[in-house]
Amino acid sequence: MIMFRLPTLGICVSGLVLLLGCAPPSRDHGEKTLHLPIVSSGPNSLDPVMGSSQYDSKACSYVYQTLLQYHYLRRPLELKPLLLAAMPQVLGEGTIYRFRLRDDVYFHDDPCFPEGRGRRLVTEDVFYSFKRMADDRNQPKGWWLLKDTVVGLDAYREQQNNAETFDYDAPVEGFRRINDQEFEIHLKQPLYRFMYTLAMFQTSVVPREAVEFYQKKFARHPVGTGPFLLQDWESGSRMTFVRNPQYWPEYYPADPGLREDGTEPYPGYLEDRRLGFYQDADRRLPLVDRVELGMYVNYQPMWLKFRNRELDYTTVPAENYAEAYIKRTRKLRQDYVQQGIRSVPVPLLDLMYYGFNLEDPDFGGYDQQRKCLRQAISCAIDWEERNEVFYNGLNLIYDGPIPPSLDGHPEGHVLPAAYRGPDLGRARRLLARAGYPAGKGLPKLVYYTGRGGRHPEMAEMTKRHVARIGVQLDVRLVDFSTLMDAVRNKRAPFFGFAWGSDYPDAENNLQLFYGPYKSPGSNNFNYDRAEYNRLYERIRVMSPSPQRTELYERMRDMVVEDVPFIGSMGRTRNYLIHDRLQNCKPVEIFHNWTKYLNVDKRQDD
Amino acid sequence: MWAFVIRRLIYNIPVFLAIVLMVMSLLRVRDPVPGMMGKQATAAAIESKRHELGLDRPFVEQYCTLVQQMVTLDFSQEMWTQPGMTVGEQLRKSVPISLLLTLPALVLTSVISLVIGMLSAFYRGQWLDKLLVFLAVLGMSVSFLVYIIFGQYFGSYQLGRLLGRPVFSIHGYEPGWQNWCYYMLLPVLISVLVSMGYNTRFYRAVMVEETGRDYITTAKSKGASSSKIMFVHMLRNAMIPIITRIMITLPLLVTGSILLERFFGIPGMGDALLSAISNNDFPVIEVFSSIFAGLFICSILLTDVLYAVFDPRVRLQ
Repeated sequence: MIMFRLPTLGICVSGLVLLLGCAPPSRDHGEKTLHLPIVSSGPNSLDPVMGSSQYDSKACSYVYQTLLQYHYLRRPLELKPLLLAAMPQVLGEGTIYRFRLRDDVYFHDDPCFPEGRGRRLVTEDVFYSFKRMADDRNQPKGWWLLKDTVVGLDAYREQQNNAETFDYDAPVEGFRRINDQEFEIHLKQPLYRFMYTLAMFQTSVVPREAVEFYQKKFARHPVGTGPFLLQDWESGSRMTFVRNPQYWPEYYPADPGLREDGTEPYPGYLEDRRLGFYQDADRRLPLVDRVELGMYVNYQPMWLKFRNRELDYTTVPAENYAEAYIKRTRKLRQDYVQQGIRSVPVPLLDLMYYGFNLEDPDFGGYDQQRKCLRQAISCAIDWEERNEVFYNGLNLIYDGPIPPSLDGHPEGHVLPAAYRGPDLGRARRLLARAGYPAGKGLPKLVYYTGRGGRHPEMAEMTKRHVARIGVQLDVRLVDFSTLMDAVRNKRAPFFGFAWGSDYPDAENNLQLFYGPYKSPGSNNFNYDRAEYNRLYERIRVMSPSPQRTELYERMRDMVVEDVPFIGSMGRTRNYLIHDRLQNCKPVEIFHNWTKYLNVDKRQDD
Repeated sequence: MWAFVIRRLIYNIPVFLAIVLMVMSLLRVRDPVPGMMGKQATAAAIESKRHELGLDRPFVEQYCTLVQQMVTLDFSQEMWTQPGMTVGEQLRKSVPISLLLTLPALVLTSVISLVIGMLSAFYRGQWLDKLLVFLAVLGMSVSFLVYIIFGQYFGSYQLGRLLGRPVFSIHGYEPGWQNWCYYMLLPVLISVLVSMGYNTRFYRAVMVEETGRDYITTAKSKGASSSKIMFVHMLRNAMIPIITRIMITLPLLVTGSILLERFFGIPGMGDALLSAISNNDFPVIEVFSSIFAGLFICSILLTDVLYAVFDPRVRLQ
């Protein structure tokens, strides 16, 4: 027996020693460190022109900067200068933008510069960065932002991409250098969204030296002007950013105080003060030394790490919703509140919809019969049920293509003229008017949707919804690439998609129905109405005004009547935030807000 | 023996070429470029990307290029989904991490399963055997995913809360031997637990077959101790199936464990391969499949050689 006992004892002792030896490595060395998640395998590249997703945007925003940025705390969203000394002057009836760069912005210290010292940001850097978006060899995902916008840029792009080498020194007519810090950009026509373009991460400013020094490796070796430096990148696992010691003097937003008449300077100001968002007012940014960005493809580890206080915030996975919230009241559970956890719902500028291909011989077209057919199908869809079953009822159902908080969004989210379901009586009447009573004689509607996530179950629900009025759905569950291909080649009569607004202006959603942008462009519906197209051409050169809003509403009502799409639903992302994390006002339309975050070190002890 | 090895290697060249051909053909059933380029891409941009990736070249040319790269061990192709990173860099980074997970798991699983299998066979029909077989079947019946989810929840999260400090990582990885325990031990234990059921039953069956052999009766009649019969006579004679099983597992070591790596955030080859497959990163899939095919062929060859080493009756001809 002794012989058996000794090895057993040995195994137990070694097991215990091993277990006690397991300890997490400390990486922060007493620094202020943020531990943040990204719900994906992370960005593939840190070259801004190659990026398009919000993960690319998040990661690039640590290192790179744009000419403009959004005010962190103000809602509705408001643009303000970032690399500029002031907002650009708009001259020449809206076609000339005059810029003045800050004179204290320096690139990160890096071996690509002489003696490794980052040099000052100058006009040529901005032009160079914009030209990179035109260079097809960079596989730019954001060319559409500058396409048909700047005088001479499209011709330059055409010419250079057809040449043997892309000449970045060749001039572009619309880029006018005044001096190292001042320049003008001449637009082909007034284009209000250009201002938003200047705040999008794809237009971030990069130094030519770094691109030429690192060449293909530049995608993994970012050199920018941002508040952080990339220290470490384990693809698909984590990224570590550290404070840029040479960061130019940028400060946390100042506390505006109440107006003289005692009203708030912006909606939600008092709440922001109550939450302590102005305790770091006027302090130099960034407020932390280090950011550990973990990448989570599965929700469970992210959720457990948050519960273990190893992450400072998390978005709430659908499967953990009931664990954190009382579903009936949608209030955070008491034990979470007692642990100092705060819940922040963030409505996304989101448009989830079903789309029709209006060039389809059976379901497309603009005659009364086809319109009635699409209107009938729209009346059969029950968005509320979909919201309840798949999103815990958290999303917002609204009429029309314009997301909430933007000009042109219907009051109370409802349009009386909309064909919102479920209204089966109306759906059946419309179907009969279309010439298909109870669906008799109607060919099957082929529905393309993704096969990942919960799309198969959602497709089943859609199939059931439309079957109630006699419409038969032929569901094609395909991967994203095939879905894109089918829509782009006009082979999908009916499809499920979502559109996240690139900037907070309804023009971004209304362009989805502009005729010249038909597939393979962004108008996947192939909607093409002369009147709508004319209105779109008018609104895109207009700045915000009641007149523009009125046109937005007219365009919205046109697509609601013609039903090229069935919608809409906008997602709400719930953030849970530990009290260790300070100044956290999450938002998803821009991502450079990590620099404003702070941590309460006392809670680490 | 060397003549045998060389001959077998030559015989396997067509097999290797056929595997590469099959992988390349299957990958090209669908065009990956539109999905890769996103919603805003123009037709010209898609065409340009296709050209850049070499997908517009004739298939035979693409095939020959890949074979040439494999023969010359040239892994300098750039990954499609990670610009600035080559396939070789990805392999050099991910394979050692996977080995840190799979190698200890294989060793532990084999040793423990073998011992349990032998014990079970030795006490065949008795309560210990029945208990061990029951546990093995139970272990096999539970999904790998359940082990991972429960392991992560109880082993990392709850145990950490119970002890008041983290013991195992919930998610993530840091290089360095000093961090191995924290990041790798739990996934290794889960892997061992999952594989033990299958292996124990297999080794038990092998051993049970051996217990009925004449040489066991002879050894017993000569007064050999139970441990000597088990660990010297039985084990040596059961080596052929054991070697086969272990050797077949060897190439899998470099593929890592897709589920474990993904759930625990370990940036190993399994995780990289899964990302490559879901993002249509052809260079990674093609190179890795080719390497895996090569390793598999080598491991089968090595198995044959080892048969001769362990069993004098086997002759390599």
